Amino acid sequence: MIELQHVTKLYPASGRPALDDVSTEIDKGEFVFLIGSSGSGKSTFLRLLLKEDDPTRGTVTVNGKTLNTMSKWQVPKLRRTMGCVFQDFRLLRNRTVAENVAFALEVINKPHRTIKRVVPEVLEMVGLEGKAARLPHELSGGEQQRVAIARAFVNRPLVLLADEPTGNLDPETSEGIMLLLERINRTGTTVIMATHDYHIVDSMRRRVIELNGGQITRDQTRGVYGVGR
Amino acid sequence: MRVNFVLSEVATGLRRNLTMTVAMILTTAISLGLMGTGLLIAGMISDMKEIYYDKVQVSIFLADDVTDEQRGAIETQLADSPEVQSYLYESKEEAYARFQQQFSQQPELVENTPADALPESFRVELVNPERYEVIAAEFPNGQNGVDQVRDEGDFLDRLFSLLNGARNATIAVAVVQALAALLLISNTIQLAAFNRRNETNIMRLVGASRWYTQLPFILEAALAGLIGALLAVGGLVLTKVLFVDKTLAGPIKAGIIPPVDWGAIATISPIIAAAGVGLAAVAAYVTLRLYVRL
Repeated sequence: MIELQHVTKLYPASGRPALDDVSTEIDKGEFVFLIGSSGSGKSTFLRLLLKEDDPTRGTVTVNGKTLNTMSKWQVPKLRRTMGCVFQDFRLLRNRTVAENVAFALEVINKPHRTIKRVVPEVLEMVGLEGKAARLPHELSGGEQQRVAIARAFVNRPLVLLADEPTGNLDPETSEGIMLLLERINRTGTTVIMATHDYHIVDSMRRRVIELNGGQITRDQTRGVYGVGR
Repeated sequence: MRVNFVLSEVATGLRRNLTMTVAMILTTAISLGLMGTGLLIAGMISDMKEIYYDKVQVSIFLADDVTDEQRGAIETQLADSPEVQSYLYESKEEAYARFQQQFSQQPELVENTPADALPESFRVELVNPERYEVIAAEFPNGQNGVDQVRDEGDFLDRLFSLLNGARNATIAVAVVQALAALLLISNTIQLAAFNRRNETNIMRLVGASRWYTQLPFILEAALAGLIGALLAVGGLVLTKVLFVDKTLAGPIKAGIIPPVDWGAIATISPIIAAAGVGLAAVAAYVTLRLYVRL
């Protein structure tokens, strides 16, 4: 499903590699936590999967396609199979909840009828039925993240990438978001989540990949955040 | 592609950068207007060449005391010469009548010129206009009733080099303006892309095609280019109505300057519009490619 082989990523401005000879494999339907301190390479890891950046060395494979050799015009196709959620939600402020979700379908040319049917379904799934006409600033942080998740999931991606999705949320709200991500995972979608939240990691007991200075220092199938916590 | 969606993006984009958009449209308009003027002058030059070069190439002015025999001899010589395509005799009266017509806007000049002040002449069209020297040698100045042989082509060449210069200067200024317009378009598109980085980022992440992301920006530039072109055409129309048709009415009526007709403007307008839209769209596309990550 997702495979990194001896991947190294150097940024021109920095002498130390962001990722240093990283190799790993993630199967379809897995739920993976990506942990490590700031600057350990978590975000670079996610960026390479989206082909936002190309690795300096090594190969990245997603859904059987090698990203290194993928041409630019094929990238949109790749991204349609992946959903993204971020710490800062990244919603369009001047569009309603429903419009924000519909936006993701409009720009990839889904027919109007499909959009009309699918958007309310996914809003119900994330628990935002009845809030379709609200604007993002009228919602709480947790609700805004639910909109972002709805937008990421509305196209039924094979992979959901989440970069610290609970970073701005209180523990109780975070728990709700995690239940939602688990539910999405149960539909067969692979979820890769970068996080600092050890409560969540410890309570979920899923696969944990720990990055340190750009290298994988730990890969546990039912891991916890860290020893001695 | 969702037309409404794209169009609303274009409208918002143009409104958000109103001052830049206005600057972009105005420079584009000035550049295209000058380009149109250059094209009109070029058309005028070729019209004028037809008017003048076809009529006369060499004038043989006769002396005041020319005898009928001398005149007859010159005419026979012209008729027999293989160099001469055709010739025309102009008497003193005809010369005066033409003078009156040409300078009808300056009555004082006409009044102060006696009717017999203008010499009679032969207007000669050569088979090859370059062979003026041969004719000049056949009719030496001041002999056999010939006062002076003049190469009108030489005068016309100087006149046309002046007009060509004017055309080239206009087009040169148009090119400099076009450069300024292109830079402004590039700048406006960068600003627009920055203003909408949120939208375009999301579009990129959910897998919108490059075209879908770029099209609103390119259309925005193309629309500004089109508005600029319309203003430029409007400027040309105003110039024709207010300047060419009014100020230059005299010389045009006298046949010295060819008129600028609506047909010429109608021919040039689509060229201007295509140039405006095309250049703006290409500038936007290149800008997005080089400076903006979409």
